[in-house]
Amino acid sequence: MTRKITVDEISRVEGHGKIQVEISDGKITELKLNIYEGPRFFEALAVGRMFDEIPVIMCRICAICSADHKITSIMALEDALGVNVSLQTQLLRELYYQGAIIESHALHLYFLALPDFLGFGSAAELVPQYPEEVKRGLKLKKLGNTIQELLAGRPIHGENPVIGGFSKIPTEEQLQHLKPLLKNALEDGEKTVLLFARLEYPEWIKISNIFYALEPWGEHYGYFGNKILSSRGDKIPVGSYPKLCNEMVVAHSTAKHSQGDETPFMVGALARINLFHEKLMPRAKKLVKNIGWNLPSQNILHNNLAQAIEIIDSLERASQIIDELLNRGLKTETLPAINVKKGRGVAATEAPRGTLYHEYELDENGVVVGANVITPTAQNLAHIERDLRIAVMNLMHLDEEQIRNRLEMVARAYDPCISCAAHLVELKVNRD
Amino acid sequence: MRPRIGIFGLTSCAGDQLAIINCEDELLDILSVVDIKSFVMAQSRNEGQKLDVAFVEGSVVTREDEERLKQIRKESGLLVAIGTCAVWGGIPASRNDLGRKELYQKVYQKEENLYDCRPRVSPLSEIVKVDFAIAGCPIEKEQIISSVASLVHGDLPLLPSYAVCFECKLRENVCLLKEKDQLCCGPVTLGGCEARCPSHFVPCKGCRGPVQEANIASEFEILGEKGYSPADVARMLTTFAYSSEVIAHREGGKR
Repeated sequence: MTRKITVDEISRVEGHGKIQVEISDGKITELKLNIYEGPRFFEALAVGRMFDEIPVIMCRICAICSADHKITSIMALEDALGVNVSLQTQLLRELYYQGAIIESHALHLYFLALPDFLGFGSAAELVPQYPEEVKRGLKLKKLGNTIQELLAGRPIHGENPVIGGFSKIPTEEQLQHLKPLLKNALEDGEKTVLLFARLEYPEWIKISNIFYALEPWGEHYGYFGNKILSSRGDKIPVGSYPKLCNEMVVAHSTAKHSQGDETPFMVGALARINLFHEKLMPRAKKLVKNIGWNLPSQNILHNNLAQAIEIIDSLERASQIIDELLNRGLKTETLPAINVKKGRGVAATEAPRGTLYHEYELDENGVVVGANVITPTAQNLAHIERDLRIAVMNLMHLDEEQIRNRLEMVARAYDPCISCAAHLVELKVNRD
Repeated sequence: MRPRIGIFGLTSCAGDQLAIINCEDELLDILSVVDIKSFVMAQSRNEGQKLDVAFVEGSVVTREDEERLKQIRKESGLLVAIGTCAVWGGIPASRNDLGRKELYQKVYQKEENLYDCRPRVSPLSEIVKVDFAIAGCPIEKEQIISSVASLVHGDLPLLPSYAVCFECKLRENVCLLKEKDQLCCGPVTLGGCEARCPSHFVPCKGCRGPVQEANIASEFEILGEKGYSPADVARMLTTFAYSSEVIAHREGGKR
């Protein structure tokens, strides 16, 4: 007997994806995660552009990860051009990222993931029964956007971050204004952690995983670093990312899939928490302990809980960064002079969904001749397919509607960003 | 009865749909006056059905985008294009001067992987009738809120129709083009953003697309005097809104 199960359009994710499963005589004969978001050829669009036009274009790969594409492209270009930035710039970038984490995670947890666990179709349907929760999600999301708007000039696709730093530096008053907002949000953040800790995480998806994440600079948990740490213990410099990601063109998807050494791996909040929970800010760390969460966790659905913990860490860390900036005194800095030259630069940062790589090659006039972007979702696709397979194997006894719901739940736990994944990749960076 | 609306994304970054979800203070009020029948990014159980208003984000990149758009048009009373991709083609259309094939080969290095792409990237209005357009990369949330309010009351929204320069002057910013010799698209770009970028000392990138009756020739001329080549100016002006008029200025050097 052959059964076909199809999820035509995965809802409550960013972008367009489809799941196709075929089961014959109790065996999975086909399982595909199709990405049918149209390809936009961002890397090809970058070629022929002046270097300083790149951050404007590349942040548009994805609205939810706009801050991350913006800063990672800027850092890759700074690497190519030998531009060093000030500590103040680095702190402001970190603050910007905390805003992006809060906004993106609150959006995913309350509007995309929570309805799954409570048996509803959307956050709007949650309102009559769970008004508190929906309002809390909106409040947290708004705070994330307030931070991003202050640093970037706009919550989505802001142009204030530029190569060398920030075009306009926020004032001390503006930063002061954020502090009570961050402090008051801690209660909402903790309620978020407790809410997601109370949910039931089925075991049918538990299997051993390989996790990758950037090892944070300095003593804190964070989103910037130079080396990738794997849960197998190896450390890889960011510049060696092609070996790690090994992107492959897959016929059924306009996004490429990544497999490290042919073994699927996972990037994202769960990977970061598993690898670096010791570096979390005090309150976040204490919450991990209070909810009795044994780390590392091998249950991919725990990615939701990991995101909730990261919201707390971001609220605490953002406040700490602001204190540091205020203690040092904000300076109106002139942007460093740029000597245009031929070169190649790579950078990676941790976006909400995992490690994001940008690489550019410039000619002697500063014109882009090669570009490569590898997004977290592209890296996760092979892993998502593997997990969907495991889910189907363990859930075959259920009816189709139930299987469909659970497959969507697994895919959604990764918080996949399909626009990001379907940006497509320029393979023309020469490597000699 | 609450108007039945749908929010759709063709090929895009989802920024305009996100801008709607970003109306954190107003979202619950909006939900109380409209009945959202389709919004795949935010809800399950989306059924094809008659809509009073469809908001459509993204540009038409694939044949499937084209088919979906035609279907949405058929099912909807009013069709509103949201975001610069939907209104002008956006960044994905920025290299419409290049054959799609050339672009594919650059990315895939193989010809058989043409996927489902159309020969060029199109704004919605090249495929179907668009009743109303809200431009911006992304759209400004005040404009989506006021548009929804107007539409709910059976009115067509009224949005700014002046250039970015107008708002920039109101904010008393130093002119980045005249005073700082920077390549600013403000004079020919639709306002309504309160000149966000120039207010951060960043020249306008043209992300909201051209203002009505934009004087393209004059923009080339002024920037030419500042030392920018027609190729530089054309590249900036077609970043978000590909236009054969701009390309003609680049090619013909009509200055």
